[in-house]
Amino acid sequence: MQKTEAQQLAQIRKDLKEMLVRDLSLEDIKPEDIKDNEILFGNGLGLDSLDAVEIVVLLQRNYGLEVKDMEKGKEIFYSIDTLARYIQENRKNVS
Amino acid sequence: MPLGKNPVKKRGNKLGFWFFKAFLKTFGLSVAYGLLYPVCLYYLIHDHASVSASMAYIKKRFKANNIFQRICCVYKLFINQGKNLIDRYYVISGQGEFDIEIYGYDRIKSLLDNSQKGIILLTAHVGNWQVTMTVLKRLGRTVYLLMAPEDNIAVKNTLDVDDEKGRVKIISSENFLSGVIEIINVINQGSLVSIMGDRGDGYDCKEVNFLGEKANFPYGVFSIAAAVQCPVVILLSAKTSTKKYFVDVSHVIYPRYSSKNKKHEEITVWVQEFARTLEDYTAKYPFQWFVFRDLWKRQN
Repeated sequence: MQKTEAQQLAQIRKDLKEMLVRDLSLEDIKPEDIKDNEILFGNGLGLDSLDAVEIVVLLQRNYGLEVKDMEKGKEIFYSIDTLARYIQENRKNVS
Repeated sequence: MPLGKNPVKKRGNKLGFWFFKAFLKTFGLSVAYGLLYPVCLYYLIHDHASVSASMAYIKKRFKANNIFQRICCVYKLFINQGKNLIDRYYVISGQGEFDIEIYGYDRIKSLLDNSQKGIILLTAHVGNWQVTMTVLKRLGRTVYLLMAPEDNIAVKNTLDVDDEKGRVKIISSENFLSGVIEIINVINQGSLVSIMGDRGDGYDCKEVNFLGEKANFPYGVFSIAAAVQCPVVILLSAKTSTKKYFVDVSHVIYPRYSSKNKKHEEITVWVQEFARTLEDYTAKYPFQWFVFRDLWKRQN
């Protein structure tokens, strides 16, 4: 059965949270602890520049995603929700 | 990766650059160099911010020197930086070329020939970029420079390096995540990205041994290289005589994490390797490192 757009978005959010916890080795954080609207960098989830680099590579590898419009970068990487919406609209293939 | 503020006032104005350009065109390199001595003396007396910023390095490099000798060292540093700017304009304006001795060209060529990916050129504020570019252009790949947009109009108009028609392009370090996304994109396309690794300027840094004490060096380059799995080639150049430069691209680091939990420790090792290479450079060419920052100042 085909998933609705809302279901797809929920699945991407879930996958993203699992990917961050697994591939960034976030200690003491479970995927379900990350809120959809939590700020990823700085005061929110507390990701740093090292994590940022890896997220960019993971998005390219897992979703064939390239952020070409740098003006939108800050908006896209704001939270799990903004990232998931961007992936939903722009992904080329999902592993 | 927030950007810090440049604490050093920009030197040079439109009239000054016109004056040097006219002298260079009329009388050649040596006479243009001669003009630097009074001009640099003026800056030595009046530009306290630059003198103070240079002194941090001079104190560590020349520990036995007294204050007078250290001021002379700063003066020498200013003059060499002036020569560097004149040489850059000399090349850009097509008035002549320099003899270039290059170490490691075959290695860098082989790295590019055997991979789809590009490489990161980790460099420092040494030698002369314009001269180095003439060597890198031979590799036939686009070279991207990560840098803050030049805010001194006189410098921008005289020495602007962004060449839309050619193979040299700028990635702004003021873009989101300090240009990381663009850097990754172009490395995956097989291009070269040149990044300065000797000024913290608000970037995340690692503390490593440098000239006998702990100093802070940015580590973003190594996190990018480890994530993209591309090599980091240390690029250093120096002026060895009036018309001769040497360019060294023989030192290659291959950043790969061996364990997810030891990323920061491994990055520190790579940063230390770069710092050691730069320290060797300052031993040979002490007055050609234009860092103008206190790398030894403790970070918050």
